[in-house]
Amino acid sequence: MKIAVAGKGGAGKTTVSGTVARALARAGHSVLALDADANPMLGVSLGVGPEQTELLLGVRQGVEAGEVEHEPTVEGMVERFGADAPDGVRLVVANRIETENPGCQCCGVSPDQLLRELEDGGRTVICDLEAGLGTVLRLAPGNADVVLVVANPTAKALEVARRAVAIAADKTEVIVLANRVRDDADLEAIAAAIPDRELIVIPEDATIARADRDGLAPIDLDPYSPGVQALVALADRLAGAPVPA
Amino acid sequence: MVGKGGAGKSVISGTMARVLARDGSRVLALDSDLLPGLSLSLGAGPDPPEPPLREAAEKDEDGRWRLKKGIGPVRAVRRYATDAPDGIRLLQCGKTPREGLEPIMGAVNAFYRVVHRLERARTFDDWALVGDLPAGPRQVAFGWAPYAQTFVAVVQPTAQSALAARRVVRVARMREGARAVLVANRVTGPADVRHVEKLVGESVLAAVPADEGVARAERLGIAPIDHAPASPAVAEIERLVAALAGG
Ligand SMILES: Nc1ncnc2c1ncn2[C@@H]1O[C@H](COP(=O)(O)OP(=O)(O)OP(=O)(O)O)[C@@H](O)[C@H]1O
Ligand SMILES: Nc1ncnc2c1ncn2[C@@H]1O[C@H](COP(=O)(O)OP(=O)(O)OP(=O)(O)O)[C@@H](O)[C@H]1O
Ligand SMILES: [Mg+2]
Ligand SMILES: [Mg+2]
Repeated sequence: MKIAVAGKGGAGKTTVSGTVARALARAGHSVLALDADANPMLGVSLGVGPEQTELLLGVRQGVEAGEVEHEPTVEGMVERFGADAPDGVRLVVANRIETENPGCQCCGVSPDQLLRELEDGGRTVICDLEAGLGTVLRLAPGNADVVLVVANPTAKALEVARRAVAIAADKTEVIVLANRVRDDADLEAIAAAIPDRELIVIPEDATIARADRDGLAPIDLDPYSPGVQALVALADRLAGAPVPA
Repeated sequence: MVGKGGAGKSVISGTMARVLARDGSRVLALDSDLLPGLSLSLGAGPDPPEPPLREAAEKDEDGRWRLKKGIGPVRAVRRYATDAPDGIRLLQCGKTPREGLEPIMGAVNAFYRVVHRLERARTFDDWALVGDLPAGPRQVAFGWAPYAQTFVAVVQPTAQSALAARRVVRVARMREGARAVLVANRVTGPADVRHVEKLVGESVLAAVPADEGVARAERLGIAPIDHAPASPAVAEIERLVAALAGG
């Protein structure tokens, strides 16, 4: 199964991706976590730590530096540039922008390409997208089995989530996550903006906030906190979900 | 304004623009994010369904976008910027519509060309230009804010936010003649400020408190400066404006 996670900047995409990846791995699944943000952070929420996350080489940079043979396969690149994260999750960073004029992003290995070409092959691929709608727009049916759209109860985040749902629903299954919900009013605000859809509620959670403050994975800080539990339940559901043919 | 997703770039740039305008500056607010943000925080309401700048662009014989004849930065701002409160002019590259990027590509291209010509237009010499960039280092690296003398990296007291700030500040400082400063956002006290400074490895120019008034304004889609003008966060952004003007 291939899962992509989308939403406004700061909505909680990386928190969701990292925690769901860890929960799936703990439940015995083989998990590949693909960081498709050019500002890669997924290592932090997976529990690799900020320093280690900073050392991970992007696949694109690795290929450009001539670290692989000609015509590397996607699997070969994942094998070569992936890193191990806790619970056996395999973490791959697609691309990092860290210099001025980093070269044409249309050429070379792209996050879109990795998501498109990776076969799930019995494992679960979970892909943390860059903020915005870029990859969701370029997604073709079959590139992802499920898109998780992360919404927050703010006017801006809801506008982005609404558009992401509309764009992704034409191509694949969409699950909307109502993240950082503090009370009924928050949930109602999200339900009003994205009507007629089931909302998976992830409450505002001090453990999740605390974890990012200290650069830890939420699931390592407290696997039983309400927010982490909601994400573990989501992972169970995703694992049990029939994969669309 | 640069930084991690959700760091508070739009809140701070929108409020800064308002403070500058109220202090008597002519202000051009530049929104190069394809997602909603600046217009709401500025108090200019929701984004227009179609970017006015689209009118400024046409395709050449090879199908490449260019500015229409006779449209330079001054005319582009006069015609295609919209009015925001306190006399601010707001120029936007447009927001991603459902149908995809195609309908806004003209405006996006026009925006890129206009910002690259702002510096040569003497008209703007005594204006304050405030740009709200999308999350991450991408636009800084690709030169979407060539007008910037100062990059303000907004950072929350978290590991990810600090990592993003460090990365974006590094890229910004590769640009000739540009400086980069740090502003902490959503701090709950001096310990948070120290935490940010330790994580990023340098001191901050201002520390905007976590503010219930700002949070409420943002839930409602109202400008923080209109909804909570006397809030501690707005007061700190006023101090930030003064500190930046001080050089
Ligand atoms: N349910 C929650 N409760 C409390 N804090 C949360 C919750 N979800 C996310 N956060 C916090 O919000 C911040 C942003 O989350 P995260 O980094 O996952 O967002 P993102 O969508 O990946 O952002 P970006 O667009 O920068 O990639 C983090 O500090 C995180 O700890
Ligand atoms: N000082 C503050 N106090 C309380 N809440 C704040 C503060 N600053 C920002 N926020 C909250 O954080 C949210 C994100 O802020 P904002 O939209 O300005 O971030 P951004 O960096 O522009 O995000 P994006 O990367 O999506 O453009 C706001 O909607 C608001 O809820
Ligand atoms: Mg992220
Ligand atoms: Mg913004």
